[in-house]
Amino acid sequence: MNAPLPHTPPTVLVVEDDPHLAAGLAENLRAEGYRVEHIGDGRAALEWLRKEHCELVVLDVMLPNMDGLTVCRTLRAEGNNTPVLFLTARGDPQDRIHGLEAGGDDYLAKPFHLHEFLLRVRAILRRWEWYQTSSASPAGAVLRFGGNEVDFRAFKARSFNGVTQDLTEKEAMILKVLAEKPGEIVSREDLLERVWGYDVFPSTRTVDNFILRLRKRFERDPAQPKHFLTVWGVGYRFLLEGEP
Amino acid sequence: MKTTRVFQLTALVLVVLSVVQVGWWVYDQHGDALRKAQLQRDFYAQEVMAAQALLDAGTPEERVHEMLPRVIISEGRATASPDFERQIERQQYKEINQYVWESAFFLLALGACMAVIARALRAEARVLQEQDHFLALVSHQFKTPLASLQLSLETLSMRSLSPPEQRSLIDRMLADLARMEALVTRILDSVRLERGRVDLKREAVELSSAVARVVGQFEERARKEHITFSTDVPRGLEVFADPLAVDVVIRNLVENALAAVAPLGGGTITLAARRLNGEIELSVRDTGVGFRPDDTAQLFRKFSRLKRDSSSAYYGTGLGLFIVRRMMQLAGGRVSAHSDGEGRGAQFVLAWPMAPVESR
Repeated sequence: MNAPLPHTPPTVLVVEDDPHLAAGLAENLRAEGYRVEHIGDGRAALEWLRKEHCELVVLDVMLPNMDGLTVCRTLRAEGNNTPVLFLTARGDPQDRIHGLEAGGDDYLAKPFHLHEFLLRVRAILRRWEWYQTSSASPAGAVLRFGGNEVDFRAFKARSFNGVTQDLTEKEAMILKVLAEKPGEIVSREDLLERVWGYDVFPSTRTVDNFILRLRKRFERDPAQPKHFLTVWGVGYRFLLEGEP
Repeated sequence: MKTTRVFQLTALVLVVLSVVQVGWWVYDQHGDALRKAQLQRDFYAQEVMAAQALLDAGTPEERVHEMLPRVIISEGRATASPDFERQIERQQYKEINQYVWESAFFLLALGACMAVIARALRAEARVLQEQDHFLALVSHQFKTPLASLQLSLETLSMRSLSPPEQRSLIDRMLADLARMEALVTRILDSVRLERGRVDLKREAVELSSAVARVVGQFEERARKEHITFSTDVPRGLEVFADPLAVDVVIRNLVENALAAVAPLGGGTITLAARRLNGEIELSVRDTGVGFRPDDTAQLFRKFSRLKRDSSSAYYGTGLGLFIVRRMMQLAGGRVSAHSDGEGRGAQFVLAWPMAPVESR
């Protein structure tokens, strides 16, 4: 496989208490050109993440001292939006959903294929890189519509009624995808693909739920949306000016 | 879980139906008793009237008394006995009382049956739940070594590695396989113990040779990890237990001690035995990572693994000490654990009954 990025290699933090698995993951990630840090304990990982920076966390769910879900939830609550790829020995859909609800970006059940693992790592980093590049320019950093102002870099927004909103990483990404092409129809599948990756969620209903959340935050009347419009059977359309 | 819910609902409906039925029955019997009493009163009144009519017709008083003995006859007049009404009331009360007691007994018996069935069902549901839990944990325990094995194999097939790198991957895979094999053995042991399917023999087992056997199996591994064994088991101490079970519990404790010492880069494991109050005690003491005294109870639970150093290459199954405790229980013995705290070593003490003289 070829190296993912030509410039400074992204750092991946592997949080896995099994030494063999951790060593195998680290070796393969290094071979792909990533910088790798390894921690075998949930609480220590959280401490590390509070001080250091990395581009992706590969997080085992069952960890000594603090489980991976709690680590991720705590990170998100503290406003840390570093992407998280969960690794877990449980693979049923309910556990997947728990992981994603805790703020994870993707979820891989043990045992997994090395190829798939690397693809997912790359996909998360690519989505994240897209988000950051596109938020880097002054034009892409801030979105204004209907009295709302969204700061993509700080994951914060001020809504029409003056309330400051903390955006989750997914909310910000959905907003970003929609705002890239205002007025155009974006399908649910497109949103899933660009924000979560191909097969993470069991259904496109999740996208609908996120749109509902965005409407609650930014529409004067969430029941009569002017900016986040549903296109029946297809997806959504975002209007900067608002529907007359 | 579902069965219990269905049972609970059925039991509730049955109890309600029975209470209604019994209530109706008591009410019905009560009405019946009242009707019967009224009939008797009417009949008695007719007897009194008939006696009066006979007296009026000139029948001698003795004759009338013979025919209708319940009527009081004096001076040519027939009157109702004052006792009669009391008698009827007493009878009526007795009957109703009997019905109430019978119903209460019936309801009580019904309730007792239900309680017994409910208990049995609850116990069964708990067993099923535990089995599910066990299965989930077991599969969970397998997935990590499996994932590691798959990762190593795919790395080998995907990348061109130097011979030393290949060697290290192969060693890792062999270690993963050994881990899974150990896991299978222990799961089978613990399942058999759980179901009580082990027929533990009771015979005299010479402890010092059992200890020597087990220690011999681990000597090479101990040397590699800079761990020394020290044994102080006098010859001739005989415990009354199953020879295989004695080996298994000693082996599990020694493995546990090895795992506790290895992360510290070396240490000592001391096995010592003594006779005490008709029992024989074997203590396995190590200079390893130890545990917090608060965690003592947790140690022997199935799949409980205390915090371990992440740099250690040890993989506990969380079954070893569970097996030890269960086997000792079945053998009529005991096991206890003690540690002064993390990093301060640990001591496990096994106690078996002493072999009786005649079995030696």
